[in-house]
Amino acid sequence: MSDLDRAIAQLRACRPIPEAEVRQLCHKARELLIEEGNVVTVNAPVTICGDIHGQFHDLMELFRVGGDVPDTNYLFMGDFVDRGFYSLESFLLLLCLKVRYPDRMTLIRGNHESRQITTVYGFYDECLRKYGSANVWRYCCDVFDYLALGAIVLGASNTLPSSSGQPAASPPADEVEIEVHNAHGHVISRFLRPKETKGDGTGGARTASPNGGLSNGVSSDSSSGSGSGSASSSAPANTGPPGSGASGSSGGSVGNPAGAVLCVHGGLSPLIDMVDKIRLLDRKQEVPHEGAMCDLLWSDPDEIDGWGLSPRGAGFLFGADIVKVFNHRNDLSLIARAHQLVMEGFKEMFDASIVTVWSAPNYCYRCGNVAALLELSEDESGLGVLARSNGEVNRSDGGVGPRGVLMENDLMGARSGPARRYRVFQAAPQDSRGMPAKKPVADYFL
Amino acid sequence: MADATNANDELYPIAVLIDELKHDDVLLRLNAIHRLSTIALALGAERTREELIPFLDESVEDEDEVLVALSEELGTFIEYVGGPQWGHVLLSPLENLAAIEEPVVRDKAVESLNKICNELSPQQVEEYFIPLTIRLSKADWFTSKVSGCGLYTTPYSKVSPPIQEQLRQQFGQLVHDDTPMVRRQAATNLAKFVKEMPAAIVVEEMIPMFQHLVQDDQDSVRLLTVEVLISIAEVVPKEQQASHGVLLSSLRSLIDDKSWRVRYMIADRFEKIAKAVDEEVVARDLVPAFVKLLKDNEAEVRTAIAGQIPGFCALVDRKTLLNDIMVTVENLVSDSSQHVRAALGTQISGLAPILGKQETIDHLLPMFLQMLKDEFPEVRLHIISKLELVNQVIGIDLLAQSLLPAIVQLAEDKQWRVRLAIIGHMPLLASQLGVEFFDEKLSQLCMGWLGDTVFSIREAATHNLKKLTEVFGVEWASEAIIPKVMAMGAHPNYLYRMTTCFAINTLASVVTIDVIAKSILPMLEKLTSDDIPNIRFNVAKTYSVLIGVLRRLPDQGTIYTLEQAKTPFTPSPRGQQLIDERIMPSLEKLQKDDDVDVRYFATTAAAAATGAVVGGGEPMNTSP
Repeated sequence: MSDLDRAIAQLRACRPIPEAEVRQLCHKARELLIEEGNVVTVNAPVTICGDIHGQFHDLMELFRVGGDVPDTNYLFMGDFVDRGFYSLESFLLLLCLKVRYPDRMTLIRGNHESRQITTVYGFYDECLRKYGSANVWRYCCDVFDYLALGAIVLGASNTLPSSSGQPAASPPADEVEIEVHNAHGHVISRFLRPKETKGDGTGGARTASPNGGLSNGVSSDSSSGSGSGSASSSAPANTGPPGSGASGSSGGSVGNPAGAVLCVHGGLSPLIDMVDKIRLLDRKQEVPHEGAMCDLLWSDPDEIDGWGLSPRGAGFLFGADIVKVFNHRNDLSLIARAHQLVMEGFKEMFDASIVTVWSAPNYCYRCGNVAALLELSEDESGLGVLARSNGEVNRSDGGVGPRGVLMENDLMGARSGPARRYRVFQAAPQDSRGMPAKKPVADYFL
Repeated sequence: MADATNANDELYPIAVLIDELKHDDVLLRLNAIHRLSTIALALGAERTREELIPFLDESVEDEDEVLVALSEELGTFIEYVGGPQWGHVLLSPLENLAAIEEPVVRDKAVESLNKICNELSPQQVEEYFIPLTIRLSKADWFTSKVSGCGLYTTPYSKVSPPIQEQLRQQFGQLVHDDTPMVRRQAATNLAKFVKEMPAAIVVEEMIPMFQHLVQDDQDSVRLLTVEVLISIAEVVPKEQQASHGVLLSSLRSLIDDKSWRVRYMIADRFEKIAKAVDEEVVARDLVPAFVKLLKDNEAEVRTAIAGQIPGFCALVDRKTLLNDIMVTVENLVSDSSQHVRAALGTQISGLAPILGKQETIDHLLPMFLQMLKDEFPEVRLHIISKLELVNQVIGIDLLAQSLLPAIVQLAEDKQWRVRLAIIGHMPLLASQLGVEFFDEKLSQLCMGWLGDTVFSIREAATHNLKKLTEVFGVEWASEAIIPKVMAMGAHPNYLYRMTTCFAINTLASVVTIDVIAKSILPMLEKLTSDDIPNIRFNVAKTYSVLIGVLRRLPDQGTIYTLEQAKTPFTPSPRGQQLIDERIMPSLEKLQKDDDVDVRYFATTAAAAATGAVVGGGEPMNTSP
């Protein structure tokens, strides 16, 4: 068993590793991360997770529901630390797994992965408490500077394979666009894909004909044509799945069908109109107070037109039009982001062109929310699956840009949007946690 | 200490440490305190006594964190001041620390003082320790008195009777102190203190103190007297207890206390109390009190008393139990608080051995059935996890008959942890119910779990299949299980395809060589060319498990059955042949895979197969 495997085992038991090992680990992690681009290319299948915030036991619950590393591929969208009691163990475990299985794990930076924020929201104090000095905090912050700013997921399937054990009456697999699972054996709701209309082959943004959206696996009359579809979109029966926000969310994704999925912690920036512009940033620094890098980590989508000022004091608010234009221009089918608490674990907005995924159940041990994972399935055709070259050269995308893959998928006459399967889960039960931080430190009150 | 700083090189580190004791940075001071023993060792016992201890004596004006560390260190310092005969020199700094305002510091100081007291001779205790105890107890400020309360029990047995009497008198004053903080501490320590003295003195002097505390107007003091009561009842022989009416009346007043915190303490320690008093009191006073607490207004009290049900019920006779107690217990099933129901759920099964078969069927089964339908998952879980006890009493047949519908329902529960608990009970049920019944009612469920949306359930399902195979045999498995497991390998989602690999890993030890050759290997060969690397490296892992099994497997039978039968067996040559012809080619292919993880696991597996040193495989690729 190598040192790294031992460190992983120790961290899984929620015991911090010695300072010297942290130093070594962070050093290795930096060597690995420096090779990654600002926007990492990830191939489906992958399971996407949102904020963790030091809730170690809930992270373990996440692995129990979604599968273990390296068996399941994971992409974490930042905010590993602060607020929870076990920021240190959570982040170091994820980092260990990243170093051990670089191809199976993707970590991108959140707004809490910053020196300034962690000194205020708990990570700094936790390191000081657990090691008696700030060295470990310093090592971790150095790693933060090297984390990628975003990721592009390629080759996600358009159709959800029906999971076995489902009633046979479920609609044909290729008509299902979204499935919501409860961390129970059951599909809470399943949303059908809008029917393709003839002459829609251009594949660009198109007016959708929402006819799906019936819950609980009852196959709606999928034959209802495009004509009546638009009228029913505002009918109450057609409200989205829990968390998908507004009505008619299954009205087809906008942007390039079966295109790539962009993952970023916060959202978009007025300074970034192309994904390639993210690649031009110099990311190896503390998160600045303004500018493109700051916006990517701080912005939020909102029901507004265009851009707005963010109440957070950093980043911006952006509306549906911004997302649609951005997705279209960049051949994206979906933006996945985290950064905001959603009680239902996930929330799709703007005709399912952007989704918020939140993975910290019972946030701050008191919010009462559930958490979610977003599973993007592999493309059944196998066309979207590229042999990853990053075994040797660490995640450089080996010269195969996203575009090449998309072209192939376009030829297949893909339907809209990647198929997304959300798994909702709850906080780990009390008896699976240890005692919370042994002594409440007096430092807080001094 | 000025001379220490200009000493030679050998002492230089010590000088640094001593300087650090006075450093501005708290962390450095803390560090130096933790290495105080090093300093003392370097100074030698005499200089430690004469220079270091007086210096520490004056350094109580520091951060609390440093003082806690100092208090702790001093407790183990006897060996550095020249052994127990010099132990008393440590008392002075600790006395100062015991008067500090911060409770954490005081507690540590008291702990250390008691540690030192244990090593002192009786003369030293009388000469140095007792005066210290008295001084602290007579101090003006409550902090010292609170510390003083903790310093009676340890020296008591070491000193002569007149001193003992003086100690008891002084303690009595603490019990009558004006401040509740001191009285609380006195009550806490009284419980330990009474155990040091003979019954006669307890009756004469301690019971009045107890009585005074029971009537305290602060509930925070009263609730601590429950422990004192238990201690007294344990010291005073049961046959004498009846003559001390005051004990009983105190007990009654505590049970009826208007503060729920006091009633909670009684409820929480009910079994202990019942064991300490004589049987008559149990029957006459405690049974009604128990029923009353079960009906208490506060959910916290009911939760606490629900936890005492089996313990207390074992102490009363059957008739009382059935007539007086069971009715109230049965009402708790529909208690309004989920926490009470959950507590009941963990304890109720404990009643089964006490009640016996017929009464369990009459009284407990209906309660079980209702609690299995509880809306709160924790209640259901607690019931299931304790089914074992009931099973032993009434037998699986009856349990299965009445509980099967409930179990089937729970097997599809919305909460995955409930499903997980049910899976754990499947092998037991299966072994008792037999193949036919199982195939009819439960096999569908067991297979369904293989495709559960939650990873942990899928994993548990594979372990369940292994246990089922152990029960029903390999014939049954190759017909009922293997085809379904193999079918999962064709699932369009990689997470579900992986279930096939996991299942093979766990099933390997319970299948025959034929099954491996005919069913398992073809499926794995197909999976070696899966699109998803995660599947391919899991195939490699599975191969390494299979290699281990094939090396040992004889022509007939499975590893599990042969190990159970304890018959020696020789591996079949066919096993090695399968490894060479079917597995190695696939592993060689996987070793040339594009994905680094696949190569790693394939290399590890291949190395195990050829007997090479494991770990010679591709090193972890962490740098370019």
